[in-house]
Amino acid sequence: MSKLSRAVVGVAALLAVPVVRSQSASSSGLPEGPLQAKAATACTECHEARIIVQQRLNKAAWTKEVDKMIKWGALVEPQDHDPLIDYLSTNFGVDKPEYVADRTTTASPKKTKK
Amino acid sequence: MITRRDFLKVASSATLGASAARPMLTWAAGDSALPVPGKEGLIVRSYRFLDLETPVEYFNTWITPTQHFFVRNHMHEPATLDPSDWKLSVGGEVDKPYTLSLAQLSKLETHSVVNTLECAGNGRAFQNPKVPGVQWQKGAVGTGRFTGPRLRDLLERAGVKATGKHVMFHGLDDVPGRVPPFIRSIPIEKAMDSDTLVAIQMNGMALPKHHGFPARALTPGWVGAASCKWLTEIKVLDQEFEGNFMSPGYRWPNQPGKPGEAAKPEDTHPLTALNVKSLIASPGDGSTVRSGLVHVQGTAWAGEGDVVRVEVSTDDGGTWQPAKLGNEKAHYAWRLWDFKWQATSGDYAIAVRATDSLGRKQPTVPVWNPSGYLNNAVDQVKIHVKA
Repeated sequence: MSKLSRAVVGVAALLAVPVVRSQSASSSGLPEGPLQAKAATACTECHEARIIVQQRLNKAAWTKEVDKMIKWGALVEPQDHDPLIDYLSTNFGVDKPEYVADRTTTASPKKTKK
Repeated sequence: MITRRDFLKVASSATLGASAARPMLTWAAGDSALPVPGKEGLIVRSYRFLDLETPVEYFNTWITPTQHFFVRNHMHEPATLDPSDWKLSVGGEVDKPYTLSLAQLSKLETHSVVNTLECAGNGRAFQNPKVPGVQWQKGAVGTGRFTGPRLRDLLERAGVKATGKHVMFHGLDDVPGRVPPFIRSIPIEKAMDSDTLVAIQMNGMALPKHHGFPARALTPGWVGAASCKWLTEIKVLDQEFEGNFMSPGYRWPNQPGKPGEAAKPEDTHPLTALNVKSLIASPGDGSTVRSGLVHVQGTAWAGEGDVVRVEVSTDDGGTWQPAKLGNEKAHYAWRLWDFKWQATSGDYAIAVRATDSLGRKQPTVPVWNPSGYLNNAVDQVKIHVKA
């Protein structure tokens, strides 16, 4: 494994923990469900959950997305494939309310809320 | 070819972790302000990797200030970029391939182009049915003054062979997993246009990192994806580059399809120039204004065309009246426009539409395509006028 790959995996490992911890406390993080942890590790290694939770797609479209991401390196075991698609299309389907986005600031970050 | 490792000094995982972990401190969407140095008040479509949208109320100046300029990244920005190590290679179907340092590139004659840069996916969120991708609403667009050597000068120095038909750009995006690298090409005719640049400045300053430091392609009038950031390699090819971001990415159906319908890859072509389009910057959607004189204001652009007319409707598209175009103009840049409206109390749907020098007009609803590109439907805001 190259230094770069190790760094990327290292970051992913660091990021995965706060994502999982914050899910149940947040209405807009990855929601609870049997595939919550799998989605957090398979998807957020490369991108954060925000890019998932803003989508409003039917099951066919989620299937295409998941299959594309597996081709691009997302680690999804065969037994998790269909449940992951179910999890995404249930939580981020076309009937869900509009996603509300954050804004940026140039100010210093706020302290962590525990 | 220069490899990423020649160029990047990989930061330690501890350093990367400290900066990358920051978004998790303020996780809940909609009620947080996420720190992004140099970017104030932008809408966060994605934080890791970074995709930022400009709220339309910022579109009240001809040149969009860099701190309000949208950011579209397909992948992570290069972790560390050392300008003293950076190199730009020019090769492929040329007689004399060569490599330039940033110091060498910066000594070449420069040219400036004021260009409206728009992400091909701007307006994707309004497609019906919904399509996957960054859910851009209105603000993945901005106008900047880009400065740098002409791409043509760089290519002529290398001597393009008769076999050279397309020019490929390769950026230093930090590619995760097995994601295909962000590499695209443009036809040689556009590459040799006197306004196509290797930009090293934006709005009079060195390119900021989010916009491609130290150099980016600037393919004016075309979708943003044609203006590759963190440019490190220019390669002349005998055919269009074959890769994910040329196909199936960034393509348009040859024949219009029904909403929701897929397009066969062989029945599509690459996206090139932007459409004619206009936006209402103010009053804001859902806002309340006082009766009397109301300035309806916004921008209109047309890719490689020129905006010739902007019309405003205050009665939900029933009747249209001409808006006044701003004085500031450049071939590839948007025009500001202003419409003075004597408003009486009530609820209104205000709409805008533009026409360009190529005779193009805006559709009333987004033209369907499976990736939600080039949505140039007539913009509309609903407002309340109080007595």
